[in-house]
Amino acid sequence: MDEQPGLSDEYRKASPWPVFVAFGLAIFEVGIVMALFPVAVGGLLLFVGSVVGILRESGYVADPWKGLVTASVICLAVGGAVALTTTNAVRLRGIAVLVGGLLVLLAGVFGSFWEPAAA
Amino acid sequence: MVEAGQIALTVVMGVFLLAVAAFLTRFEDWRSYAPIASGGGYVGEQTGQAHQEKPSGISRWLTTVDHKDIGILYGLYGLTAFAWGGIAVLLMRTELATPTEAIIGANFYNALLTTHGITMLFLFGTPIIAAFGNYFIPLLIGADDMAFPRINAIAFWLLPPAAILIWIGFPLAATDIGIAPAETSWTMYTPLSVEQANPGVDLMLLGLHLSGVSATMGAINFIATIFTERGDEVGWERLDIFSWTMLTQSGLILFSFPLLGSALVMLLLDRNFGTMFFAVEGGGPMLWQHLFWFFGHPEVYILVLPPMGLVSLILPRFAGRKLFGFKFVVYSTLAIGVLSFGVWAHHMFSTGMDPRIRASFMAVSLAIAVPSAVKTFNWITTMWNGRLRLTAPMLFCIGFVQNFIIGGVTGVFLASVPVDLVLHDTYYVVGHFHFIVMGAIAVAGFAGIYYWFPLFTGRMYQKTLAKVHFWTTMIGSNLTFFAMLFLGYGGMPRRYATYLPQFTDWHLVATVGAFIMAFGQLVFVWNLVTSWLEGPRVGSGDPWDLEDDGLKTKEWTWFERKRETAIATDGGEPNEQDVRTDGGEPSGEETGSRSGRRSEEE
Repeated sequence: MDEQPGLSDEYRKASPWPVFVAFGLAIFEVGIVMALFPVAVGGLLLFVGSVVGILRESGYVADPWKGLVTASVICLAVGGAVALTTTNAVRLRGIAVLVGGLLVLLAGVFGSFWEPAAA
Repeated sequence: MVEAGQIALTVVMGVFLLAVAAFLTRFEDWRSYAPIASGGGYVGEQTGQAHQEKPSGISRWLTTVDHKDIGILYGLYGLTAFAWGGIAVLLMRTELATPTEAIIGANFYNALLTTHGITMLFLFGTPIIAAFGNYFIPLLIGADDMAFPRINAIAFWLLPPAAILIWIGFPLAATDIGIAPAETSWTMYTPLSVEQANPGVDLMLLGLHLSGVSATMGAINFIATIFTERGDEVGWERLDIFSWTMLTQSGLILFSFPLLGSALVMLLLDRNFGTMFFAVEGGGPMLWQHLFWFFGHPEVYILVLPPMGLVSLILPRFAGRKLFGFKFVVYSTLAIGVLSFGVWAHHMFSTGMDPRIRASFMAVSLAIAVPSAVKTFNWITTMWNGRLRLTAPMLFCIGFVQNFIIGGVTGVFLASVPVDLVLHDTYYVVGHFHFIVMGAIAVAGFAGIYYWFPLFTGRMYQKTLAKVHFWTTMIGSNLTFFAMLFLGYGGMPRRYATYLPQFTDWHLVATVGAFIMAFGQLVFVWNLVTSWLEGPRVGSGDPWDLEDDGLKTKEWTWFERKRETAIATDGGEPNEQDVRTDGGEPSGEETGSRSGRRSEEE
């Protein structure tokens, strides 16, 4: 048999991450625009986590926990900037990003210590 | 009450995230990121079992990054959206059967009008083209897969949330939380779209934004795939016509959809965050029209170029001849792509713009008739003296050409400023673009579905039902859209749920035509489902006998190899030449296909 038609043997044909990258972005957008605090935070966690996951899977990031910490820095910077420079409803959105960033940071730090050295 | 709601939302989000985490642990060992044995194994295991690389059941479809699976998902998604857009328009046509507001009411009509336009253009048109592109571009150009398989999957999975957001106003209107479907029309003109306080508009804008992100990611993927993933033997001079149109279309998406995304964000900011982009003190309502149509007109070509590619690919195979003037069909595609960015203000002739600017937009708009006519004449010339086989895909291709001519010629009149000033905002415009989007684009899509049905199902559709589908679609569309042209000549304005009694007859004709079309689509779905499940299996890898005319293309060679490989793994016979089932000559498939391609493209 010469080959598996149309199939590559270079990489996997399944990945669990794309669906959650997409849903995470959608949920995060809805949370931010409709000012739904828990939805925005949850969407951000899903989006950031899945992006780090897909980057790890495709080899762009070596350590997922360090990836989370890096992503949290971006979230904290953006969320902090919005929260500090605005008031009321817009500020609430900034705080949502800030809280999401903190949770991502916690996950990254916790994972780094909890997980034994990567196999 | 508000706090209780927040707590409930927090709990729901928490449970959802936990469920996601639980799902992920089934697929990923979080420590090593090696796939677990029972789930998705690596494809590199070289066992010869194609299914080993994908999980089974629903998980396979949720996690797939295979271009063919994603193509099927796009197709199912597109047809689902087509069904909802169709139901919406049937409700509207029912209301329009009588001059008065008798059945569904004007506000519901406006909501259906909005969802019909947006659904058909963004959730049916663009995805159904992506379905063909995903499934067939890699096969046609000899690639393993798309250049970025995971981005491909992300692009698809952005679409279901987009559809939910765009449609959710309808179910939410039944609750008392104060969200109703948007009534902005698909053009979302300001100040109307800024002043409608309904949060359903925000949800729809978010959904549209997501669908734009999805289209842009898909376009980047197609461009990268066609540039970098072509097989060794597929040079630019051998690239098939469908890939050319997809490449041009992807370029258009790349330059226009980000602009739509930006304009939508500006509109969202105006609505929710107190900015004044489109307020009179800011850019004014005209800014929206310019931004929207700078996207909106290329969108027309985004939708029509790949179907033109489908017709250019399929029509010659049933005319027994290569495509007449292949090079010029490619050049006209590129010309349309370039010109499409220079015509947007022809949607705005009646807004009081400077007559000199108006005249220049008229000139460029009329110029688009030239490459369009080049294509039309090439299709007709391909058929001229050809050995026509009137199979369902061929019938739909011919139907495409017919409807495209009517839609195109009515468009030439609208491109002319003096005529447009009379016909602007009448049903003439509605008739014109429906001849293109339904009469031509959707019909070409049907041609593609029937043509490749044996390839992606391994079975043949029911030919009589396919012809019923064709004739009901053609008769229904011409009845409806000609009636619209006549209504427009009579001065019937578009976008109204009610009308003066003198328009009743043509409106009735249009309604009857719409229901004939709807019946045809039911036949189509029935045919698709029953044939997929229990249609007769095709007996060879070349069900259309394209080899006889030297017109076989690469995707059929792939199909043939797939069939042979399947037999080889079942029977354990490694020598594939011995299990050839169609009587083809050993090692003839590649050369046969090559000579076919050469004869087509030189």
